[in-house]
Amino acid sequence: MLTVPDVSLAPMLPILIVLGGALISTLGGFWLPRRALALINMALLLLSGVSMVTLWNSGAQTFGYEVGGLALASLRADNAALLLGGTILIGTLLTYLVTWDTAYRARVSFAEFDAVLMYAVTGCLLIAFSGDLIVLLIGLEIMSLASYVLTTLSDSPRSEEAGLKYFLLGSAGSAVLIYGIALLYGATGSFNYAEIAARASAFGGLEATNSAILVAGSLLLLCGFGFKVALAPFHQWTPDVYSGAPTSVSLFLSTVVKVAAFAGMLRVFSGALVDGPGWLPVLAVFTGLTLAFGNAAALFQTNFKRLLAYSAIAHSGFLAMTLLGPPNLGGPAMSYYLLIYTLMTGAALAIVAALQRSEAGMEIQDMRGLFYRHPAYAAALAVCLASLAGLPPFAGFFSKLLAFQTALQGGYLWVTVLGVISSVAALIYYMRPALLMFMPDRTPAREYPHGQRPASSLAVALSVTAIVMLGVLPGLWYDWLANPEIWRLLAGR
Amino acid sequence: MTHTMLFLPLLGALLLLLTPRTWREEVAGLFAALTLGLGLWLWRDGGSGLYAAPWIPALGITYSVELSGVSLALALVTAFMSLMAVWYTAKRIPNPGTMLGLILAMETGLLGIFAARDAVLFYVFFEWAMIPGLLMLAIYGGPRRMQALLKFAAYTLLGGLSMLISFILYRSLGGAETFSLYGLNLTGADGQVRHLSGLLERPVTGPAQTWLYLAFLVAMAIKLPLWPLHAWLPSFHEENHPSGIPDVMGTLYKVGGYGIFLYGITLFPDASLELRPILMALAAFTALYAAWIAFGQTNWKRLIAYAGLSHMGFVALGVFSLNETAVIGAMYLLAFQNFYTGALFMAVGMLQERDGSLDTRVGGVMNQAGALGGLTLALWFASIAVPGLAGFIGEFSVLLGAYQVNPWMTGLAALTVIAAAAYALTAFQHTFWEGRPLGAVRVGDLKQTEWLVLGLPLLVAILFGVYSAPALSLMQPAVRAVLGAVGGP
Repeated sequence: MLTVPDVSLAPMLPILIVLGGALISTLGGFWLPRRALALINMALLLLSGVSMVTLWNSGAQTFGYEVGGLALASLRADNAALLLGGTILIGTLLTYLVTWDTAYRARVSFAEFDAVLMYAVTGCLLIAFSGDLIVLLIGLEIMSLASYVLTTLSDSPRSEEAGLKYFLLGSAGSAVLIYGIALLYGATGSFNYAEIAARASAFGGLEATNSAILVAGSLLLLCGFGFKVALAPFHQWTPDVYSGAPTSVSLFLSTVVKVAAFAGMLRVFSGALVDGPGWLPVLAVFTGLTLAFGNAAALFQTNFKRLLAYSAIAHSGFLAMTLLGPPNLGGPAMSYYLLIYTLMTGAALAIVAALQRSEAGMEIQDMRGLFYRHPAYAAALAVCLASLAGLPPFAGFFSKLLAFQTALQGGYLWVTVLGVISSVAALIYYMRPALLMFMPDRTPAREYPHGQRPASSLAVALSVTAIVMLGVLPGLWYDWLANPEIWRLLAGR
Repeated sequence: MTHTMLFLPLLGALLLLLTPRTWREEVAGLFAALTLGLGLWLWRDGGSGLYAAPWIPALGITYSVELSGVSLALALVTAFMSLMAVWYTAKRIPNPGTMLGLILAMETGLLGIFAARDAVLFYVFFEWAMIPGLLMLAIYGGPRRMQALLKFAAYTLLGGLSMLISFILYRSLGGAETFSLYGLNLTGADGQVRHLSGLLERPVTGPAQTWLYLAFLVAMAIKLPLWPLHAWLPSFHEENHPSGIPDVMGTLYKVGGYGIFLYGITLFPDASLELRPILMALAAFTALYAAWIAFGQTNWKRLIAYAGLSHMGFVALGVFSLNETAVIGAMYLLAFQNFYTGALFMAVGMLQERDGSLDTRVGGVMNQAGALGGLTLALWFASIAVPGLAGFIGEFSVLLGAYQVNPWMTGLAALTVIAAAAYALTAFQHTFWEGRPLGAVRVGDLKQTEWLVLGLPLLVAILFGVYSAPALSLMQPAVRAVLGAVGGP
């Protein structure tokens, strides 16, 4: 006889709503036009956001069990999950607004696109809400598989090449990650973050053989995550995939997917392995390499979309700096950075998607004089680029300040100094296109000449407003994150 | 009132976006004049007290501003020269809305730099002022502006971030609760007043202070500028719009001397004393080196840029010497060089408008444009510190004070005064005397606004060259307070 399992569904609600959207898109594609599905999905995303608001401060969790007085759970709707989940939803909504205008031109205007997109978001949310490594892995795989498909969906050799590359390297990354999870289980006897944290903090009690396995497991996990968030030396797939995929998909990959992957890193490294040995110096080295390579390579780009891909790598480096400090500083720093990064990159790619002639993006040289042809877009893009470069009074400045502060607190002065130097390089490659736009130009325009772009414009306007608002009053978002209790509980302690 | 003065120009810049094209000059002029009026009012009241409020409490960042003493003097100069720039823009540049907006936006950044009493707020305004400067260069610059732009931006940001790291470490090593200099009094919900400590109350000592001072100095040496971090300066001025208006704002943006005065001496007193000989030597060398290079220039803008650099060497010499007379002189020079250096940039702009060239080897302009020549010469006299003009008081006080600390370096720097007369008068002679080349265009003389734009700064330079007491009495208490941290010379 089939019985309904005794599981509390409330903490899962935000994920289930998004999953519902994925199912509706899968089936509804037979009867409904794509834009109707997009509307339904946007409504569901907002609904998911509302359910997250109701879960705020509830500390709800499900699939729980108890070991030695520890209340453990596999799925946790704690405040950290809600903050990161909210960022994921915002990024997805930006993606949706952009596809509203550009999906047809990008040849992804069919229901399967929406279905796969919503599956990817489901996976992303699972990662943010994960309470143990298995849920994390399931979420990561759903997200990754859906992302490979998204990259390939547009009917062009470029995107197929990008998708295959993404698939091959991404599965290698997943394999490494799974191996790391297995070793971690071998060392601690648990998949649960809280339990791993408890075992690893009493590390002296572990046997000598186990400690080696624990270190090996955490390093493999670090490498696996390195693939997912594009940390050097595991970043090579990023520029090809981001510049080969349709721009709206690049937007999704470089914001939402990255937010989810960093959410996983935050869960694992600031939660489960916060006292774990061995991984911190290695992460510092990866961070330094990412900062150096990402920023140096971006200096030599001639295509703006590809430049943004390298900028995404460079920002992975800055984001990883927030993992180098104590979680009570690093957690809020990373969550703040992730939201701002989503808005900045999202708006910049939305503008590229609106103005590009083909999905290859714009050449930087072609952006000369953009301000005199599309003043609003150019001004908005300039704000995004200034914010990406970390100039006050835009929000990107505070995210960078927080990242530096966290790394300094962790004692990584050399990483911070490297961060400063690479910020100067970053300023150069962001300022070149930004200021080219303001230089008068008499040659014919090279942007896509047709069409109304109300949804893209809305996405850009909202993001830029948020970037300026959060730059002048960072407390609007930071005050939600600042409570150290949220980040102490990251591992469920 | 401090806040109004700070943000009024920005408000004006934003309003310009909504103003119909024909009214933009008037609106910009109104806002620039109102800002100056507010500044004068503040001066009459003897400056504003410290206003401090939490900005981002979780990070210890406060909104602390104060306009008094040296800050107020520099803010007044900024407001005055911005008004001149706005006037000249209205006359010189067709459809000037963008330029006017950028001038006003930059003015807020500059006023903020002088008003800020919180380290992070200082950084925010420091970088803020760069953005309109970059845009002016990008929109109105010359053919090789991209290179000049990137150099300027990269130098400024490198310095800025190095300073930011220094401040972050200063706070975490010293254990201050806020980034504000003097701390912050918070009234809780229960009416209890709680004091949050500021950077000055929790100083860092020992070798750490020296390292942090060096990191901070990178920013200030770039913004002074000080040899060998000055490379961005000549190309920045050369590539900017030939009218010289962005150069006026760029000159105002040379805030390094002020930063060292307000943050360097107070936060790093031991390191300032320890590094004093080296820094004074660098400053003296900068002054002499810049004057030497200026002598070889044939482009007016580069020439004035190097002349300005030479003045900045004097400012640095005064500030680094930690002697009261010299520091007052340095601040006096820093404030008043804006009048004549800025006005000279605009005079060169007027010359370029008439002759089409920024070259010094034009010849014979004096015969056709006597007023332009006469005013330029008078401004050059102010610049090379002829007694009776404001530049003299500044340079003389610096030399007088610095001599008591380090006679050799001061002697080296004093040579600059001779060199300055050489480069300024040679270039002036080539352009304004000598024969007008055959077939050269006829040069018209000054008209309407141009008289004001050159005449008023000169008038101020004469006024404060003869009667310096008001400015000195404004600055002296602030300088004494700051030097109190070092414990006298």
